[in-house]
Amino acid sequence: MEAAVVDAGSKILKAGFAIPDQAPSLIIPTQMKRMLDDGSSVDNSMSEEVTVDPVVRGCINDWDAMEDLLHHILYTGLEWEVGNEGQILFTEPLCTPKAVREQLVQLLFETFNVSGFYASEQAVLSLYAVGRISGCTVDIGHGKIDIAAVLEGAVQHIASRRFEVGGSDLTKVLAQELGKSNPMVNLSISDAEKLKEQFACCAEDEIAYDRMLRTCETEEHTLPDGQVIRIGREKYTVGEALFQPSILGLEAHGIVEQLVRSVATVSSENQKQLLENTVLCGGTTSMTGFESRFQKEASLCSSAICPCLVKPPEYMPENLALYSAWVGGAILAKVVFPQNQHVTKGDYDETGPSVVHRKCF
Amino acid sequence: MYGGDEVSAIVIDLGYHTCKAGYAGEDAPKAVFPSVVGCIDQMDADDDKENNDSETNNSNADSNKPKGKRKLYVGSQALGFRRDHMEVVSPLKDGVVVDWDIVDNIWDHAFKDCLLIDPKEHPMLLAEPSSNTQLQREKTAELMFEKYKVPALFLAKNAVLTSFASGRATSVVIDSGGGSTTVAPVHDGYVLQKAVSSSPIGGEFLTDCLMKSLERKGIVIKPRYSFKRKEIQPGVFQTVDVDLPLTTESYKLYSQRVIASDIKECVCRAPDAPYDESSYSNIPMTPYELPDGQTIEIGADRFKIPDILFNPSLAQTIPGVDNFAEISPARGLPQMVIESINRCDVDIRKELFGSILLAGGTASMQQLKERLEKDLLEESPQAARVKVLASGNATERRFSVWIGGSILASLGSFQQMWFSKSEYEEHGASYIQRKCP
Repeated sequence: MEAAVVDAGSKILKAGFAIPDQAPSLIIPTQMKRMLDDGSSVDNSMSEEVTVDPVVRGCINDWDAMEDLLHHILYTGLEWEVGNEGQILFTEPLCTPKAVREQLVQLLFETFNVSGFYASEQAVLSLYAVGRISGCTVDIGHGKIDIAAVLEGAVQHIASRRFEVGGSDLTKVLAQELGKSNPMVNLSISDAEKLKEQFACCAEDEIAYDRMLRTCETEEHTLPDGQVIRIGREKYTVGEALFQPSILGLEAHGIVEQLVRSVATVSSENQKQLLENTVLCGGTTSMTGFESRFQKEASLCSSAICPCLVKPPEYMPENLALYSAWVGGAILAKVVFPQNQHVTKGDYDETGPSVVHRKCF
Repeated sequence: MYGGDEVSAIVIDLGYHTCKAGYAGEDAPKAVFPSVVGCIDQMDADDDKENNDSETNNSNADSNKPKGKRKLYVGSQALGFRRDHMEVVSPLKDGVVVDWDIVDNIWDHAFKDCLLIDPKEHPMLLAEPSSNTQLQREKTAELMFEKYKVPALFLAKNAVLTSFASGRATSVVIDSGGGSTTVAPVHDGYVLQKAVSSSPIGGEFLTDCLMKSLERKGIVIKPRYSFKRKEIQPGVFQTVDVDLPLTTESYKLYSQRVIASDIKECVCRAPDAPYDESSYSNIPMTPYELPDGQTIEIGADRFKIPDILFNPSLAQTIPGVDNFAEISPARGLPQMVIESINRCDVDIRKELFGSILLAGGTASMQQLKERLEKDLLEESPQAARVKVLASGNATERRFSVWIGGSILASLGSFQQMWFSKSEYEEHGASYIQRKCP
């Protein structure tokens, strides 16, 4: 049986068997609704229940909810049998505290009784998905942005940065802007989220953005509950916020500038290799116009070497950016598990959860 | 007594230039950021701004300006963003901590933002300079136990940690970091205090010399925030200067230093023989591209600047370099090493000569090890066998103090040596002198 690969994001959880060059079989939202009678369940029920987010800003926060979610994925989604659990590979974001890792290992071995476990950082895996072992990843997810530099499969923590902003903050900005221009409409966050996915785009550059702010035609869109909303320049604001974080109220530079500055801390012989192999991943990067704007900003940045984006190989599925960490995990799983480099049940029973730090880098 | 269990210790090394923090047992620190902070003094900021000052910590509605309140920006992300009136302040002066508030903020940033841990659950190993005073140590212990409520603490001297990192209990450690160069002999894991010598020439001094030297040649280093690139036609770029008058001098200097230290790390090499103007007057120039696109050529400075470590009086030949009075009594590196060894007991001198360790950011300069070995062979007594050891990896040299701490804190036999919270509560901060020799 193939190993299972799970990439738990703040918004979407990707899981499937380790078959690279295929999309993951399960792409489900991580958010769950709590049923008041018998604990949590993964369902979109009609009643307004409390929503539970087990993964917040990339890190697992609510362990009980995570347990239920994993139960659903492994036994219902991937159809594992109780008593014959296989091996599992988990992805984790940058700067995961050691305690979180140990707790995850403990959960998997003791509650789920898996036979093997491995964990790897999402940055490294995204690079594997495009066929590289060194380069930079810019991972713009729902809960966080990770800019990581990887050399020969090892993340250079000195040159990596994390931002606690992500798609969810962009949604808030969109909701705010739409609220200003459409005061009559009552917009919920989930509606704003869908609008963002449908309409958000990036202007070509700063000058084009300023032009858009002044003159932009508005479209009309009908929400599921029947209300009509007009969207015009707000859709450009969402994309621009990544390049001008002052829109989000943050005092920071745009994405490209941050990338260039953090790579500048690495010794110069490696800088070229890192910047010329830049990979964009994460749901937010699939915004219309984001990639071309990124490349435009890259040519204008304050550095001698400009970041260059890497083209994913042709045999990879479309929309690789959405789940490149998962695909990389599938590739890694095919290497690690057959060669017995993972944490086995025997290792765990002997040493305890801290064995994960020795075996998984 | 604190018997460490599976919860990992945290190792912190607060240097003059960078602060390194991370988990014990790992081979490199996870959190590396500058140990200077950006500081906006509320008094200056309020003078210019009218209302809606979103920077104030305390939201006093009335017109009373908060006295001495300031907002600190820690970490490379926060420091890298230019803000009006932001001064760059260092908590250390001559190796001694003068501003504990800043140190507090730095540790806070390391724990909460970089490592994402709760200090209550992890024992802390801190690296301290080889000549730290009793007062400083007590204050450190007090801050750690009272504010962060750590379960256990240990203060280890930099030289001892470097010694451990290379696996030796007896050696002479040359720690050439950002602010100063210290030569400290270590014997059986203890620093021989009477033989420690230090000189104010460190990485930052060399960077300043390089900057002044380039300025003399008419090369202006533009900080990253002061220019912008515009595309005037497709494919044709032009660099435009951005005028930001409210930027402080200290911030401008800091940004320029960052670029200059990158130049220094890329092109500077220690010369094989003592530097003199005539022999290096027509060597090929190395090009270097500045962030704004300007390419500069560096020739003799490549060798002149590192030679200041060996011959401090060279710095006087660079116009514009101040603090002459400070550096004139300073000796070159080989002299410092010989002097230091000579102050030790005769019996161990041979062993010390045979294990001279290089550590620190400045020590990762190319060819430094070879040049030092050559100079020491000339000056040392005949019978001594001189060996200078330095790890081949530049990153390891830079973080060797931290790596030593990581090794020490993860040793099984070390777990009983921690200064625990209960011992602090029972005996007070002064007990640290007994526990951490």
